[in-house]
Amino acid sequence: MSRRDVDKVATRNRGSAAESSGISRRRYLQSGALLGTTAGLAGCLGGSEDTLTVGFVLPFTGVYSLLGESIVNGFELYVDEQGGEIAGQEIETVSRDTEADTNTGVSATRELLVESGADALVGPVSSAVATAMMQTVENESSAIWLNANAGDYRLVEEGCLSYHFRTSFNDWQTSAPLAPWVYENVADNVVITYADYAFGDNSRQFFSEAFEQAGGTVVNEIPIPLGTDDFSPYMGDIEGSGADAVYSFFAGSDAVNYVTQFHEFGLDQNMTQTGSGFLLSEDTLPAQGQAALGKFSLLHYTSTDQSERNQGFAQSYADAHDTRPNVYACQGYDSAQAFELAVEEADTDPDAMAEALRGAEIDSPRGSFRFHEETNDPVQNMYVREVVEGSDGPENEVVDTVENIELPTWGCSVN
Amino acid sequence: MIESLLRATLLGLQLGVTLALVATGLTLIFGMMDVINFAHGALYMFGAYFGLLVADALGSFWLALVIAPLIVGAIGAAIEIFSLRPLYGRNPLYHILLTFGLAIMVQGIVVQVWGARSRRIPAPELLAGSVSVGPVTYPVYWLFVLVLSTVLIAAVWVAIERSDLGILMRASAHDTEMVDALGIDVKTVFTGVFVFGSVLAAVAGVLLGASRSVHPGMGFGVIIEAFVIVVIGGLGSFKGAIYAALLIGLVIAYGALIAPALTDLFIFALMATVLVIKPSGLFGTTEAA
Repeated sequence: MSRRDVDKVATRNRGSAAESSGISRRRYLQSGALLGTTAGLAGCLGGSEDTLTVGFVLPFTGVYSLLGESIVNGFELYVDEQGGEIAGQEIETVSRDTEADTNTGVSATRELLVESGADALVGPVSSAVATAMMQTVENESSAIWLNANAGDYRLVEEGCLSYHFRTSFNDWQTSAPLAPWVYENVADNVVITYADYAFGDNSRQFFSEAFEQAGGTVVNEIPIPLGTDDFSPYMGDIEGSGADAVYSFFAGSDAVNYVTQFHEFGLDQNMTQTGSGFLLSEDTLPAQGQAALGKFSLLHYTSTDQSERNQGFAQSYADAHDTRPNVYACQGYDSAQAFELAVEEADTDPDAMAEALRGAEIDSPRGSFRFHEETNDPVQNMYVREVVEGSDGPENEVVDTVENIELPTWGCSVN
Repeated sequence: MIESLLRATLLGLQLGVTLALVATGLTLIFGMMDVINFAHGALYMFGAYFGLLVADALGSFWLALVIAPLIVGAIGAAIEIFSLRPLYGRNPLYHILLTFGLAIMVQGIVVQVWGARSRRIPAPELLAGSVSVGPVTYPVYWLFVLVLSTVLIAAVWVAIERSDLGILMRASAHDTEMVDALGIDVKTVFTGVFVFGSVLAAVAGVLLGASRSVHPGMGFGVIIEAFVIVVIGGLGSFKGAIYAALLIGLVIAYGALIAPALTDLFIFALMATVLVIKPSGLFGTTEAA
């Protein structure tokens, strides 16, 4: 049975897959009886005999809902740009809300792979959810997995799964490469403040190692609980450390509270604040306002980047959603690009898709990147940005680019 | 070290008086109507979000500080009249389920209308920057929150302990039927108390919304602390709520200095200790205030 059965109506329904798979099953019974053949059976059971099915394993409710939404927006923007098709085929998307819960993430993954017959998984946001999904994806081995956010390096170190491709970043990339830059341009001693959970602790460790390797001194490391509202008690330790610069990992509301209070307590006057890009991003800058000015951070995507590729992307994203794209939207957009590339090379055979993506290059708004041959992690430029006063309030300006970074493989070799 | 202690003390006191604003409403509503109001944190969050709305629309923090609590007060009146009132006298479980449902609804509304990203109410220019308090620098705005909350709490104290209205409130809580028999409309008193509690929570929401981020999870965070305060102070006791709020504020601030990861543990350990020594709470009696 042809995958390009043109009269098949693709549904792009976010909510229910049940309806569309019901239709395709009925169609199968009709056409199967007509043709009298069982050759199509395998394809039809997959529920995707003539369309490509993409499963979103993302949070649409709870604290991370903004991230999930942005990833979907980015993905759909690319599909729309291709006239609603990927590699000339209709796209059907099925969404499952993971919240930030690992159990929900695993059952959503199984459902998308087995019942919806997804050809690609896009998501998740949380690394804990990604870790939990790993076994299921490997067991089913029926789809490629485009990890559009979860950045914990241990997904590579412990999982090393050939279907797993990060269209996002790993946490080494958003911390370590900033260390030599800070040492050369800002200060030779730092104090580190970080949100006290796995991701924050990875960032601390990577930055600390790289900074000392560059010749600098880490004078103190201050863990602060996730979800802290008042950073006041820690300000004394930060100031009292005597360091000339601070490196931080905080995100979301923690980043807003930390940056504004750092400014309000007057620490800006004696110390230069640096951090991972999540500290000062499109979703926190409006709330941080003037307090963010003059602070440096490192990320793989910056919406104000002046390249033609990015300006085009940012413009069409703004037209569709009335806001600037954030890093998550870019990651979703690139997931769609990676999927297209895989399908063009290998149709929907998961092993062939993985083979096609390994080492392949993606023309991203962030600047082109390729998937590492050993780990499938993105090999990409990282941008050092400074927050400056823009026309609509504070915005990030790229002040330096860290190119051709050698990526750790943590002993992983997917081949 | 002394600087850290002083800074933590200032934060603890400020946190204490703002928590007292939230806990006062909670304890009065419980004391008078026997309603465990899980939606109280949601009203605090509404205060912050309406504050954001007014500050954006009118460009003034001060107007936000006045108008947002009034809006939330009106919402409080609607909640009391249309959903709580029909359930008075029934098993407390009805109120718990109702107000918990309301809290979830408010959270949903906030995410739909304002989105999930963190925001902040811009603090007034007048209160920007920081000043020296002894050996530490402290943000002017945070001192303002400390002073204004203290004044408000003192005013509420005087009103409840000294004014006729306060006597009426305490009497209604003590013996509803007797007050009713004396020809006073207890229903109106109940609505008034609920509105009053809502307004105080909303004031706290606007005040803290300019020093902390405003986000959809903020209501659930504060309600836990507020309940612990009400339990430690003694259910329904206004005086107890004030003392317990200051105590919890200081525990949170000092806890962050000693062992940041264990702050929640300290809070609940304190609650457990108080309940073991004095099962009805610090000022717990069978009557309010």
